Amino acid sequence: MSSAEHQGISVDVDHNPYLAEGTGTVDAIVSITADVAGTTSEPERVEAIIIDCSTSMQAPIEKFEAAKRATAAAIMELVDGTYFTIVDGTEKAASVYPKEGLARASTETKAAAMRAVDGLRPHGGTAMGTWLAHVRGIVGQRKGAIVHAILLTDGKDEHETPEELGLEIGLSEGEFTCDCRGVGTAWEVDELRAISTALLGTVDIVADPEDLADDFASMMKASMGKAIPDLTLRLWTPAGANIEFVKQVAPTVEDLTHRRVEAGNQCGEYPLGSWGSEDRDYHIQVEVEPAAIGREKLAARVSVVAGDEVLGEGLVKAMWTADTGLSAQISRRVAHYTGQAELAQAVQEGLSARKAGDVKTATAKLQRAMELAVESGNDGTAKLLGRVVEVDERTGTVQLRREVAAADEMALDARSTRTARVRKET
Amino acid sequence: MTSPAPTCPHCARTVAPADRFCEDCGGSLSTLRKVAIPRPPSTDAPCTDCGNDVHFDEYCNVCGHRRAQPDRDEASLGAMALITDRGIEHARNEDAAAAGMLVGSDAAAPDAIAVVVCDGVSSSDEAHKAAVAASTAGVDAMLAAIASSKKPRVAMLAGLDTAAKAAVAAGVDSEAAPSCTYTAAIVIPTARAAHITVGNVGDSRAYWLPEPPGAAQQLTVDDSLSQELITAGASPDSEAVRRGAHTLTRWLGADSDPEPWSESSVQTITADGPGTLLLCSDGLWNYLPDAADIARYCIGADPSAAARALTEYALDAGGQDNITVVIIPIGGTS
Repeated sequence: MSSAEHQGISVDVDHNPYLAEGTGTVDAIVSITADVAGTTSEPERVEAIIIDCSTSMQAPIEKFEAAKRATAAAIMELVDGTYFTIVDGTEKAASVYPKEGLARASTETKAAAMRAVDGLRPHGGTAMGTWLAHVRGIVGQRKGAIVHAILLTDGKDEHETPEELGLEIGLSEGEFTCDCRGVGTAWEVDELRAISTALLGTVDIVADPEDLADDFASMMKASMGKAIPDLTLRLWTPAGANIEFVKQVAPTVEDLTHRRVEAGNQCGEYPLGSWGSEDRDYHIQVEVEPAAIGREKLAARVSVVAGDEVLGEGLVKAMWTADTGLSAQISRRVAHYTGQAELAQAVQEGLSARKAGDVKTATAKLQRAMELAVESGNDGTAKLLGRVVEVDERTGTVQLRREVAAADEMALDARSTRTARVRKET
Repeated sequence: MTSPAPTCPHCARTVAPADRFCEDCGGSLSTLRKVAIPRPPSTDAPCTDCGNDVHFDEYCNVCGHRRAQPDRDEASLGAMALITDRGIEHARNEDAAAAGMLVGSDAAAPDAIAVVVCDGVSSSDEAHKAAVAASTAGVDAMLAAIASSKKPRVAMLAGLDTAAKAAVAAGVDSEAAPSCTYTAAIVIPTARAAHITVGNVGDSRAYWLPEPPGAAQQLTVDDSLSQELITAGASPDSEAVRRGAHTLTRWLGADSDPEPWSESSVQTITADGPGTLLLCSDGLWNYLPDAADIARYCIGADPSAAARALTEYALDAGGQDNITVVIIPIGGTS
C-alpha cells in the first residue's frame, strides 16, 4: 500500500493517566478511525453467500423464496471484478455457483448466479461447520484479499456436534469474516454469535422473511465499502505488566483478550478484521508495576498495523501522584464503556436465567440492564428490554413480562452487545 | 593597548568600542547570550530504572519508565543564577525559565538583560511545553526588540505577544492544550543601578530586593482570584481569598484571550542602588510570600547559593509545587 493510504488511520487514547501511590491499574479507551475515501487502489474482494437449504426452510415456502430473493439482492450489490461463490448449506455444503471455485462478478456471471439460486430447493439438514469448511476451502485460493461471507440459517446446528462446529470455527478464524443472520425464531442466538464473534462479523435476527432482501443488500454494500483487508492491534506493555483485558466496546462489545498472538519484544497482536471508513473504540485495561510518586511510565503502546507496517499509534501513559483529586478521576468514556460491557453481560445472563426458569436472577439481571441502558442513553437496548420486562413507572422496579414474543427475546439477545457511543472529551 | 579595533559583525566596518549600534549599517554590535532551564535529559544514556539501552519516544522499551528528568536544573548567565526544581508532590517539572543578555565590549557589563519565568498550568496535559515555549520565545522577542532600539516597555509587550503565540502553538498537537503563567523582566543597567521593567500574566512573581535600607517589594500583581478579591476589599486572611489563591484569572496558551494582559500588567522602576531582582514561580512564594523574607536570603549572598537556599526552603516546607527562582544582581558587586 502507498503511504498516502496510511493517512486514513488515526489512533486516539482517552484515559486518566494519574495513579495513586501503590496502584497500577490503567484503563484507557483507544479509538481507531479509518478514512478510506482517499484510497486509490481497489483491493481484491472475495464474497461467499451461504444459504440454508434445509427442509425447514420450506415451512412456510415463502421463507425460502425470501432467502432466494435476498441472495439475489446481495449478488446485485457485488462490485464488478469481485470473486464470489454461492453455497448451498445442508448437513453438507455444495457450490451452487460457480460449480467449482470462484466466479468474477460481471453482468453475465451475476445473472447466471441468480438463475442458479432460483433453481435451489430445500433438501436436507443443518451442519454449519461443514458450510464454513467449504467456504474456507474455496476462498483460501486468494490470500491477501478482503474475504467476507454471509451465512443465513433458520434452525439449529443439528447434524454435527458442538465440538465439530467449534473446530471449524477455529480453523476459519483469520481466513474470512462472517456476518450471520437467523430468519424466523427456530435458530439459536448463541450458536450464530459464536460464529460471528470468532469471525469478526455481526449477528442479527430477521424475524420477518420479507425483510431479508434489504438486510442482505445492506450487508453486501457495507462489505463492498471495506478497503483494508486486515488490521491488527499491536499492544506493547512494560516488563512485569499484566493485560487484564482488551475489548472492542463500540459499535459492539467483543472481548479480544484471548485473541492475543504473541509477537515478541513484549508485544501481542489482536486481529481487528477488515475496515472501511469507520471508527471503533477499544477498552484496554493493563496492570503495571507501580512507580514512585512523580514518575511516569508508558503503560501501553497501541499500534495499528497492516502487514508489517504501523499505520497509527497511541500512547497510554501512567503518572503517579500524591494528588488524590487527580488520581481519583475516572475518564468519562472509560466509565461509560465499562457500563456498556456490563449491560451486554446483564442482558445475556438475564435471558439465560429466564430460559432456565430462574425468575429471581432473571429479574435482577434485567432490572440492572434496564437501569444501565437508560442511564447511558442506549435507547436501542432499552427499547428491546421493554418488550421482555415491564418497568413500574413509580418504583422503577422491573417484572418479567408473562408473554414475550420469541422474536423479541432473540432480538434483545442478538443485539445485546450493541453499545451507545459517548463523545470524546475535548 | 594592542587589541585590534572592534568591527561590526554585520558589515565588518570598524566601530567605536562604546557603540551599541554600527554607525554604518545600524546593526546591533552586541552579542546575544542565552540560557534556558530545565534542559532536556541526555538522549543516549541507558534507562536509570532498568539499565536497558533503547528508548522510544522518551520511554524505556523494557520497563516503560519515562526517561527520568533530573529533579533539578541549575544554570548561570553572567552574574545571574537560574534554578528550577520538580518539588516533591508533582509528577514532573512544568516550570521553565529562560534568560538572555546583549553583551557589548565588556562581558561583565551587559547592555540589556531579559528574563522569563513560566509555570505550566497543571490542569493541561502538556503544560511544560507551553512553559518552555513561552519562556524562550519571550526572551528572544524582548532582546530582539531591545537590539533594534525599542523602548523596554515596547520590548516587554513584544515579548508578551510572541510568548502568547508560542504557548498556543505548543498545544496544536495535543488534545488538552497546554497553558502557563508568564513573568518577565527587562533590565537596562545604568551608571548607578538599572532601569527595570517587569510584566506578568498569571501568578509567577517579580520582587525587587534593594540592599538596606531600601525596602523589599513585590513588583508584580498576581492575576489570581484571591488578588481580585483583595483588590475588591476582601481581607487577605479570609477563607475566600485563601481558596482562590491558585485560581488564575489570566494565563497564556489554550483558551486564553489572545492578549491576556493590560497596561497595568507592565511596571517600570528605576533602581538607584544595588540589590537583587528576583523572579519566581508560586512553588517558592507559596511558602515565602513576603518580600522581606525573600530578601534575607539574597542580600550579600552569592546568587547561585541564594537560589539554592530558597529552593531548599520551599522543599523543606513541603514542595507542593514546582519551584523556579531566577536571581539577577543589580548595580555591581559593592
